Amino acid sequence: MNEDAAPFNVIGKPLPRKEDRRFLTGRGRYLDDIDLPGTIHVCFVRSPYAHARILSIDISEAEQMPGVVAVVTGEQVNQWTAPLRMAPPIDGLQPMEMTTLPVDKVRFQGDPVACVVATDRYLAEDAAELVLVDYEPLDVVADMFEAMKEAAPKVDDALSTNLVSHQTFAHGDTAARMRQAHRVVEAEFRSHRQTHLPMETRGILADWDEGRGHLTLHVGNQAPHPYRSVMAGRMKMKESEVTVIVPDVGGGFGQKIAVYREELTVAALARHLKRPVRWREDRLENLSAASHARENVARTRAAVDANGCLLALELELYEDFGAYSFYPANYLARVIAMILTGPYRVQDYAYDVKIALTNKCGNGPMRAPMAITSWIMEGTMDAIARDLGLDPVDVRRRNILSENDLPYTMATGETLEDINPAEVMEKGLAAFDYEAFRRRQAEDRNSGVYRGVGICNVVESTTYGSKFYKAAGIPGSGHECAWVKVEPSGAVRASAGVMATGQGYETAFSQAVGEGLGIDPANVAIELGNTDVAPYGMGSRGARGGTAGGGTLYLAAQAVRDKALAIAANLMGLNSAERLRLTDGVVQQFANDAWSDTELTLADIARVAYLDPTKLPDGMDPGLETLKAYDPPAMTYSNLVHICEVQVDVQTGEIAIPRYLIVENCGTMLNPTIVKGQQLGATIMGLSGTLFEHIVYDENGQNLTGTLADYLVMSADKAPEIEILDLSTPNQRTPAGLKGMAEGGVMGAIGAVTGAVNDALAPFDVVFDRHPLSPNAIRAKLRSKI
Amino acid sequence: MEKAAITLNINGQDFDMLVEPRKLLSDAIREDARLTGTHVGCEHGVCGACTVQIDGRPQRSCLTFAVQAVGKSITTIEAIADGDGGYSALQQALHEEHGLQCGFCTPGIIMTFEAYLKENPDPTNEEIRDVLSGNLCRCTGYQGIVKAVKVAAERMRSGEHQGGRS
Repeated sequence: MNEDAAPFNVIGKPLPRKEDRRFLTGRGRYLDDIDLPGTIHVCFVRSPYAHARILSIDISEAEQMPGVVAVVTGEQVNQWTAPLRMAPPIDGLQPMEMTTLPVDKVRFQGDPVACVVATDRYLAEDAAELVLVDYEPLDVVADMFEAMKEAAPKVDDALSTNLVSHQTFAHGDTAARMRQAHRVVEAEFRSHRQTHLPMETRGILADWDEGRGHLTLHVGNQAPHPYRSVMAGRMKMKESEVTVIVPDVGGGFGQKIAVYREELTVAALARHLKRPVRWREDRLENLSAASHARENVARTRAAVDANGCLLALELELYEDFGAYSFYPANYLARVIAMILTGPYRVQDYAYDVKIALTNKCGNGPMRAPMAITSWIMEGTMDAIARDLGLDPVDVRRRNILSENDLPYTMATGETLEDINPAEVMEKGLAAFDYEAFRRRQAEDRNSGVYRGVGICNVVESTTYGSKFYKAAGIPGSGHECAWVKVEPSGAVRASAGVMATGQGYETAFSQAVGEGLGIDPANVAIELGNTDVAPYGMGSRGARGGTAGGGTLYLAAQAVRDKALAIAANLMGLNSAERLRLTDGVVQQFANDAWSDTELTLADIARVAYLDPTKLPDGMDPGLETLKAYDPPAMTYSNLVHICEVQVDVQTGEIAIPRYLIVENCGTMLNPTIVKGQQLGATIMGLSGTLFEHIVYDENGQNLTGTLADYLVMSADKAPEIEILDLSTPNQRTPAGLKGMAEGGVMGAIGAVTGAVNDALAPFDVVFDRHPLSPNAIRAKLRSKI
Repeated sequence: MEKAAITLNINGQDFDMLVEPRKLLSDAIREDARLTGTHVGCEHGVCGACTVQIDGRPQRSCLTFAVQAVGKSITTIEAIADGDGGYSALQQALHEEHGLQCGFCTPGIIMTFEAYLKENPDPTNEEIRDVLSGNLCRCTGYQGIVKAVKVAAERMRSGEHQGGRS
């Protein structure tokens, strides 16, 4: 791909976003803004118990209420739909199956047991209160370590135990290294339960066309085609009988990928009642019954020599997966284990990963499903430094991958290339002025001011190719698909299977197409989210939008350009298009050592392609469009460092963040403004999770955080200003050198702020190994020390 | 529940509607006036997405009943523009400073600061962040929004760009 090394015309320009006008003027079109005549509304009846047998459900009173159209339970809905069987052939994973609605027992507080349909949402909520469910409460297990005990109540009666997944791996001989080591340093990391919290909650509007037997689903979703496939299967329909249309989406962060039981129920009701049916989730439902993430416990054992060089690493990792399996249970934790060693040299590595079911809301991948990876690794580096009395930067320098180490095959077999962890860290330390900080820190401590610095190196797995899935034993494909069409007038349209939830794809992708085709991105219309329009692709997850989405569009646009130039050559009487190119929609010719405009434009070529095909080269099909599929390398990686300075008030436990610095290598950027937006948003999400957010369950499995007054999210007055420096290098294997990014910020923030707090409070001989780092948590540890 | 016939004045236009007394102003604006730019994020007054102006003051439309807004002047995002129908200074700055991503929280933020900047033409970053703490944004990390408010205030002070009509 030599031409990719050439400077770009439109890729890399900080163009303002095309999406903004409709959002800034209140003319966006989100799910709940779509109005179909005759729409009826649902409200779900949810379990107040975390674990209980359903003895009976009395819907008679609710059915009699004026305005109520229907009340259904699992008895009916499960007849209309197929169960979900989660049983990929993965070693150590127990298969799970669930019906659309539970009929025998509920497994968490918020589990839906019945659904009321009424002429408006207020009435549906009224009637839902009249549905009488007789429950027999069962013993609850709300803690993953309790759940793994032999006598624990079983969350899923069909499973042999609550240990739904157990996987181990070893490379080299960690035990031998531990024996030979100068020291074996142990550390623990406890990450707490959080949730995605898109500002727009979930919901669906299902529209049944009785005449054609066709179902149209308006739904906020990141992966419209896989969603349609699953939906069609569970509705016992063909994919050709289902259309998924995704409007503007008010954030997803991983919560809007799976087919949820509520959505399936609504789709089945629309078909049954032959009317449009809408569900709009409220915030209580979103916090308690959508999906959760991040409740992990990790322990590391690091064998080191006297200089802090890492000889071997062992990881024990646990995840509380909740009550249901919308994804293979190993899906989230396995990536943590696979990429843990990230920026560091170590070949002797072993992991043991256990996933337990509990009576809590089920898990889903939340922006950076592997988010705690970097905290575990960097926290281990800090533990080594503490143990050996070394500077944490020196320990990192002795272990970090530099240019000479690359490409580097990790112990898990994944190959790192085109990254620069050492260079990125050094640039960050220089910009931060680490040495000066240490002097300032020492001086301030004398006057009772406690500052700390945290350094978090991140290698972010961004684009997962099909080879990775195959190697990891995860079913699915990593490819993406796109089309680019030039209409007879010269108007350009393009589509891909990925779907935006606010990132700015319409702008960034128009730059990929504009670059590949040779036109102004302002003249490219990007059409996403409608499965009748978009080609079958795997959708948006991880950080695949740039490389899989943008990269495939770039290749498709190049293919259309090649055809356009072949037509141009024929029209000009040339036997080759070698000395032709398209720039800003005009054909240019190379002659006398210079490019100059010809009379021909892309519009002229399009007119010939569609309306005057006898002028086309012999054997060429009329029309000017291409469908292109692309499967990225097994994995692409970006890398970055976060350096966070905190000041901790030891009297109140409050944490201030006076300085926050990022250096990142994320490859070619389609649009640096949009990249920066992702870096900032991801970082604040990581800080918010570490410092504020916490889904709290009591021992009875009751969710105590059902409002935004209980589930705290970082607000503007607490968020720091962030400086970002760039040290990007292109990926050599991908179209245009794209790598992808958007999750690394979460990874970096968790490790950096935790490291900084521990550094600040080192004089008190305390180590914080769990989150959230609330003022109460800080004070609880300091109380006996001050 | 008995419905009441009411008239709401929204963006200078009268909307006649038949609503239950318990109907939230946010729902009446969206469903009965069909002005869907006002978004509902939490329905308990924390997230700020549903913020509109009532008699020029920013208020949570999810914490107000529609019947309480009778006789008042309600302004929503659909009315915000400069005199020529283009962006207001704040909208323009949000566009330039990448102060929005998914756009769901954006109308509430604009309604808050269109009012705030009229009374506070020269806010510090700290003051902007303090006011912005009433609106949650899950996408941007707030930095672009703070910058945009600052830029908009400067332009409005210098007369380079007028504030939004509201």
